[in-house]
Amino acid sequence: MSPSDKVDITVVGGGSFGTALAVILGDLGRNVRLWVRREQQAEEINRDHTNGRYLPDRKLPECVHATCDMGEAIEGAPVVLLVVPSKSFRLVARDVGEHLQGDQYLVHATKGIEVETFMRMSQILREETCALKVGVLSGPNLAGELMVGHPAGAVVASRYDEVVRSVQRLFAGGHLRVYGGRDVVGVEIGGAFKNIIAIAAGVSDGLGFGDNARSLLITRGLSEMAELGVSLGGDVFTFGGLAGIGDLMATCASTLSRNHQVGEQLAKGKTIDEVIAALTFVAEGIPTAKAVSNRAKKKGLDLPITTAVHAMLYENMTAGEALTSLMSLPVGDELSALRY
Amino acid sequence: MDQKDKERVLVEVVQRVLDAYGGDPQQVEQAIFDTIYEERKRLETEIDKDLTQKQSRMYDRIHGDALHADPMRQRELLKEIARYFANEVVGHFDTRVYGFATKVAPHGLNLLLNAMSPIKLARTLPNGLSDLDEQLDIIGHTDTVQELAKRGTIVMVPTHSSNLDSILMGYAIYRMGLPPHVYGAGLNLFHNKLIGFFMHNLGAYKVDRRKKAYLYKDVLKTYAGCSIELGYHNLFFPGGTRSRSGGVERRLKLGLLGMGLNAYVHNLLDKKTKPDVFFVPVTINYELVLEAQTLIEDHLKEGGKGRFIIEDDEFSRPKIILDFVKRLFAMDSRIHVVVGHPLDVFGNRVDADGQSLDHRDRPVDRTRYVLRNGEPVFDRQRDEELTRELARAVVKSFHRNTLPKSTHILCASIFQWLQERAGGMDLYRLLRTGGPDESLPIAEAYERVDQTLNALRKLHEDDRVLLDDSLMQLDVPGVVNHALVHLSSYHRRPAVERRGDRLFHVDRNLLLYYRNRLAGHDLERMEANQ
Repeated sequence: MSPSDKVDITVVGGGSFGTALAVILGDLGRNVRLWVRREQQAEEINRDHTNGRYLPDRKLPECVHATCDMGEAIEGAPVVLLVVPSKSFRLVARDVGEHLQGDQYLVHATKGIEVETFMRMSQILREETCALKVGVLSGPNLAGELMVGHPAGAVVASRYDEVVRSVQRLFAGGHLRVYGGRDVVGVEIGGAFKNIIAIAAGVSDGLGFGDNARSLLITRGLSEMAELGVSLGGDVFTFGGLAGIGDLMATCASTLSRNHQVGEQLAKGKTIDEVIAALTFVAEGIPTAKAVSNRAKKKGLDLPITTAVHAMLYENMTAGEALTSLMSLPVGDELSALRY
Repeated sequence: MDQKDKERVLVEVVQRVLDAYGGDPQQVEQAIFDTIYEERKRLETEIDKDLTQKQSRMYDRIHGDALHADPMRQRELLKEIARYFANEVVGHFDTRVYGFATKVAPHGLNLLLNAMSPIKLARTLPNGLSDLDEQLDIIGHTDTVQELAKRGTIVMVPTHSSNLDSILMGYAIYRMGLPPHVYGAGLNLFHNKLIGFFMHNLGAYKVDRRKKAYLYKDVLKTYAGCSIELGYHNLFFPGGTRSRSGGVERRLKLGLLGMGLNAYVHNLLDKKTKPDVFFVPVTINYELVLEAQTLIEDHLKEGGKGRFIIEDDEFSRPKIILDFVKRLFAMDSRIHVVVGHPLDVFGNRVDADGQSLDHRDRPVDRTRYVLRNGEPVFDRQRDEELTRELARAVVKSFHRNTLPKSTHILCASIFQWLQERAGGMDLYRLLRTGGPDESLPIAEAYERVDQTLNALRKLHEDDRVLLDDSLMQLDVPGVVNHALVHLSSYHRRPAVERRGDRLFHVDRNLLLYYRNRLAGHDLERMEANQ
């Protein structure tokens, strides 16, 4: 794709997931602009069609054109897809907002919550840009598997039908099946919250507890996810879908999951500072645990797994202590938080 | 609206309403019979016998005809009913009255009250009628609205707590230097002939809320849309009816609100030179509400038994209105009309140049929201969502521009004390019994009012509520006293009353009513965090 070609979609963020999505779209023949932060990275993508740092083993399609210029990236793109870490999301969104027009659809695929404000990413998009037609793409989408072309599913949620249809059309025919939805809150909460449970599952696996324990964590985690999501206005059924249980299953079982890896390291006795120092990637579960834990305290929500993960991350609790605290909690009715 | 516009509107309204039913013969047939059913039901309670006879004959004829008619004929019959409704609505809007209004409006409230009882009023008001002017404070973005009225069509959307709101808004619109606004007023407002006369002068047309047929509602909505399109400034209460609870509206009528967007897209398609429609959220803040007692009682009625139309309240008795206004003036009670930041039809703020702005004050090309492949288009699902964006922005503006009065502050403080003392007692039981304590020491009341005031100051810092400067200059006992004087002046039984060194809750329904004005501002949480 040359810079002058009509663009089908702009992906903002050249990390592993952003690049994976750009590749999928490029393989489908879509003209993709990819905004990346570093000039060198853009040059590499345009010259060699590689993104060595995040995608060493895969050539990028020629219809993916990279740029560091946000104005160039956004101009004329009917759909703009933001895939940047939650920590830098607001600043990047603000930059996008300098160039975006009201007829462009703005979708994000960031699974996190802003710690200071407890805002969801779509709320930040509304604050930082003029976009009204916003949406979220989420689901069990481990970048490594997407890159090699394995079948996968995701959900795109927006209050606007035209946003949902447009994103579905872009991905149509590929190995990522994109389902539509209207529950933006539920999909965003599902995507962000599962990272907390993934850390817990990593701890469980790191302690060698096996499948029963992981399954217990996933289902109780799902219950916490739904309690939080419903309290924020999400639809309880969303959590039974790709953005809820779907994403939980993939991320809690897979050793490819970054948050899972964080949990495993904690189980091995490393402190969170040591874990963070050794990370070469962003693990969204770490800030999300803080954001959700604060919220739960404020609103009186009972989220024991979140509390335990938060204690391990921020209060120097060991994995063993966290486990003991969880196992010693009184056992109530399974669905009491949602049903009664 | 001149005669030419009126005829155009009539044809347009009927055509658009019919178009909405599309070419589906079943839908058309259903609409005819539904409308006749609703209308016959209404006629059973109609007092005007001549009118009942005339309309019954018309519906009988249409019913008989429709039973055997082919789809084409049925469409004609639906058109006939729609035209009848449209004539009723448009017909009540008189060109001469609208023009006349510009001359009469200066007298505003004075005209109303003079007409009601000039001698009595002159005698009771120490400084004469000029007080009326002084007692109404219009603050906020009035200059921006004046500029925007030259650049596009204004749709004024105020909060609604009293039937006096319509009169007050008419007067406020005049004071802002704006031409009269087209306004759909309930028939019950016209029952009082003097007020009816006044309503006409504000550009009001009659809305018969007893007509339940969807067809009638479609006609009304479309009429509002067409008048906006033709550049007539509009006023309507987006909450649909007076707030029963006393709270600031949170749910708005999206159908009517959406007419602004509809008109905007029509204007873009017609390539009009001034296609823009600007919404202006307004809050009206009283120390006391004329109909408080009736409204809260209706609110507290068991689910579903509340009335959408109340025709026998305080407003139906001019003597009570007079008494109410007289007392308000005697207490130097200021009414604040707060004009919020004007919004475009998508909920973005608009500056005086008519430029839409995003949250970071960057200019927004608003036409783009409704373009597809570069052309403006209608899209029902999109437009409903865009209207929800507007509704959210209006509700946010309502809360931000609420100006708590001393009655609200005292009642919120005392009601919270009452709830704490009652320890989780059911609301209805609490209202009935008053909980374990019938009074609290005045010192504790001061402490609680102080907390509420601090919570409000904090909210004000975050731009989430307005403060009444003159009220904030008072010390805490001053605020409490101000509230007590008001509460004991007009209502049959006061919400709260001072006896010696204690404050007694008396009419707890009213206590709840005035407290509700601050509900939705998270006051309780603010206080707990202090």
